[in-house]
Amino acid sequence: MTATRDEWDLPISEAQLTRLTRDMEAAHRETLPVMRAGAVDLAAEIRDRAAVGDGGPRNAGRRRFLIGAGAAATALALAACSGKDTSSAKSSATPSGSASAASSPYTGDLKVVALAVALENQAVGAYQAALGAAKAGKLGTVPPAVATFVTTAMAQHTDHAKAWNAVLTGAGKSAITGVPLSNQAATTAALGKAASVGDVAKLALELEDQAAQTYLFATYNVTSAAGIATAASIAPVEAMHAAILNFVLGQYPVPDDFLPTDKAANPALLTV
Amino acid sequence: MATDHIDTRLLEELTEQSQDLNSDAVRITTGALGDFTEVSQEQRQSRRWWQRGGAVAGVAGAAAVLTQLRATAATSSNDVMALQTAASIENLAISVYRTAAGLPFIKDGNKTIAAFIAKTTTQHQAHAKAFNAAATQAGGKAQTAPDAKYAAVVQKALPKIKTPADVVQLAITLEDVAAQTYAKNVAQVSSTQLRRLFASVAPVEAQHRATLLAVQALLAGSLGDLVAIPTNAAKLPSAAGSVGFPAAFYPTRSASPITEGAVK
Repeated sequence: MTATRDEWDLPISEAQLTRLTRDMEAAHRETLPVMRAGAVDLAAEIRDRAAVGDGGPRNAGRRRFLIGAGAAATALALAACSGKDTSSAKSSATPSGSASAASSPYTGDLKVVALAVALENQAVGAYQAALGAAKAGKLGTVPPAVATFVTTAMAQHTDHAKAWNAVLTGAGKSAITGVPLSNQAATTAALGKAASVGDVAKLALELEDQAAQTYLFATYNVTSAAGIATAASIAPVEAMHAAILNFVLGQYPVPDDFLPTDKAANPALLTV
Repeated sequence: MATDHIDTRLLEELTEQSQDLNSDAVRITTGALGDFTEVSQEQRQSRRWWQRGGAVAGVAGAAAVLTQLRATAATSSNDVMALQTAASIENLAISVYRTAAGLPFIKDGNKTIAAFIAKTTTQHQAHAKAFNAAATQAGGKAQTAPDAKYAAVVQKALPKIKTPADVVQLAITLEDVAAQTYAKNVAQVSSTQLRRLFASVAPVEAQHRATLLAVQALLAGSLGDLVAIPTNAAKLPSAAGSVGFPAAFYPTRSASPITEGAVK
């Protein structure tokens, strides 16, 4: 049996489509409890670190390790992220952004967590804007696969943001609900100029590559075991989004033998 | 909120360590140039249309990882076992893809599927090389055998493979095991260099799986003509947009234990 959606004949049956969707949702739901547990572990680790700060001589060694690791992570973050990102941050950062970043409540691993939330929120916002533009007819005819991609990827980014925000609130910090990134204005402007599905897909690919590579970067620059595991579980998913976008754009879906970090977001982009 | 104070003695220690690392890095980078040249030549010789744009990044990525590996000092036997198990999974994947490439319905079938198999084989070879380089540098042996557990699964499946869809199904299984194993290994190994290595390979295996899941959906819908680069995006079924990434967080429940492919 074939069904019709938006004047286009679906070449698979409703039953097949329903089964695929059900399987996908089941797989998705199955991972959520694990992620919640991971977020709880990470928050507990961070709270433990705060307690270690008052722990006296017995914990001095560990505290020093954590401070040292944090310092090394910060140095690596500044050194390893791309020059493009750095220049972008410099050119578009506002004075208030710089000032707030200087006294940021998010330090050490939490800075990377805050960056992760901001990137996820940025992706969610971009996909929401794309849907809005599509509904307004600004992108021309939207292929069904692209519409499904946008809604599914957006839902997954929302889940990622929730997981990372749970870490922030678990550590006694404020959740991040907006996009406190100095490149957000440029991203919004680029979305506003998008006149086709291809334009949106290219921009989405940039965001997905940026997210995947930032998580790769995080796996070897954060010190918390739970944080490392969380980043390691999200990076492949962002990379999968990128693979499908590449395919839709007519490009090879697995362009690199090893995921690079040249497009990873610089923590300096964070304005809180 | 706790306030961090600068420990000057620690700072001096870190500075000294940093200088040592810098000296090592200069020596290591010089050595890695040889590997870089070798990889570059291999890539140039086998360059095809599907490698456009990605080849430079791929070589740079491989060189970066090889450079990192020269600096890697796996500090535990668990690290060596994890690397050997990873190499065994890669060896099996290489073997399966090579076998698949020789099957008539692949060799003479959809050109994009054949090209994907060829390119994916070279990527798994690069991964095996990287894992074994790290294992031997840590004082362990290179793993040249395939993962025994999944080799048995493959042996059982091979006689039943009659169509491209059968090949795709088997490949999805292997890519998922690889991605899950490496995603878990990231949090198990003891050095940042090894974390980076596993974390840079897991997403690539996940991308192989995403692509194969999309191809599987197209073949199931008798839309093999859309398995092409470039494809006709307008004709892709709705499910093709989401079937490639079934979960928001990559699972690790089916990850191979680090001992599974260790050299005995």
